[in-house]
Amino acid sequence: MAEKISFEQVLKKLEEASEKLKSEDISLEDAIKCYEEGIKYYKECSELLENANQKIETLTK
Amino acid sequence: MALKPIKVSQLNSYIKRILQTDPILGNVSVIGEISNLKFHSTGHVYFSLKDESGKVSCFLAAGNANKIGFELQEGLEVTVHGYIYLYERGGSYSINIREIEAAGQGDLAQAFEKLKNKLQSEGLFSQEHKKVLPFFPRKIAIVTSPTGAAVRDMLKIITQKNDIVDILIYPVLVQGPAAAAEISAAIDDINSYHTDVDIIITGRGGGSTEELWAFNEEVVARSIFNSNIPVISAVGHETDFTIADFVADMRAETPTAAAEKAVPDIRELREYIDTLHIESKRNLKMMLEYKNKQLQLLDPTVFSRDILSRIAMDTMRIDNIKDGMTERLKKSISDKYHRLYILKEVIDGADPKAILKRGYSVVTDENGNIIKDATILKDEQLINIEAAKGNVQARVVASGKE
Repeated sequence: MAEKISFEQVLKKLEEASEKLKSEDISLEDAIKCYEEGIKYYKECSELLENANQKIETLTK
Repeated sequence: MALKPIKVSQLNSYIKRILQTDPILGNVSVIGEISNLKFHSTGHVYFSLKDESGKVSCFLAAGNANKIGFELQEGLEVTVHGYIYLYERGGSYSINIREIEAAGQGDLAQAFEKLKNKLQSEGLFSQEHKKVLPFFPRKIAIVTSPTGAAVRDMLKIITQKNDIVDILIYPVLVQGPAAAAEISAAIDDINSYHTDVDIIITGRGGGSTEELWAFNEEVVARSIFNSNIPVISAVGHETDFTIADFVADMRAETPTAAAEKAVPDIRELREYIDTLHIESKRNLKMMLEYKNKQLQLLDPTVFSRDILSRIAMDTMRIDNIKDGMTERLKKSISDKYHRLYILKEVIDGADPKAILKRGYSVVTDENGNIIKDATILKDEQLINIEAAKGNVQARVVASGKE
């Protein structure tokens, strides 16, 4: 569990980047940086969501 | 001595009256085992109550049958409360049941309250021990019967919502004497050997109090409490409350509800992050447009056009000032001319010659001083007299007196 990338964390970063872009007093450089980061997080989230190799197993004793 | 013969119906009617006026038979409680159980389509329930050597018919009206909190089964030992009723037509009697309870049910309720109070006082139910369920679990363990409807329903809900989370079905007995120990061991085992599990769901579908009893056992409660992995309890129906529900980090009303609560909807999540993506794109685009507009304002041609128009404006302004000044100067000069003319009139009016013309004369001495006091003149002194027209020299003949 620990070594996997946490979806929650990446999603939170994506939300933060998106929120920062909305603010009025952000410089153009920061905005572009934010956007690029946001895209990176978006891709990470997307990949995690596309990774649909669900395993269903019944334990045998 | 025998009475004269009576009709069958008269006999039954008589017996019925006797039975129904008897204070004991009007309110009896009878213990026995259910047999010959029949559910009629009207909702009424018919069965026999029996013991080793006897049996009696029982009738449970639909209205009372709905109020029972457990499932009636062949062989179940029950206590019924009701009154004896005689069917005149058949000459048979039965117990007409008002209330029915499973034998030993009172004991179970007592055990439940006792354990609940004990665990509560130990703090097992307190909110501070409740773990927060992870929002995006990677693996869920389901501790339940592998053959029940509950596991099928849960799998269906989870796989519909989420095609990422792995599911480990941990098969256990959920009823009977061995169930509690198995459930407890399963939760412990997952904590020890399946540490990649993010959420444990344990539960089963609906059943009688006895059937759900494993989830009221202390071992299960302890294992749930000691679990490092958050546990959702999902036992029976919405109205069933078990000890497991109180200890669990989250109580789900039913197994289906547990499945709903355990995993996020992947499709919704995809839509959400897409929205964030589109929003960010739009915000950046808006910002670029705004900055571009600002840049255009600094364009040299726009700038020079602005400067030229400002120069033109300023030129017009100073021209206006100059014109105003000229106007004011002209007016000031003409005012002065006018004033001069008026003064000339005044001065003209004050000319001494004009006075002489009215018949006065001016007398002066030899030195030209105007004589204003005649007494200073001496005899024989020469004086000048100036009239409006011409002047003469004269000699004083008689010096004046005041």
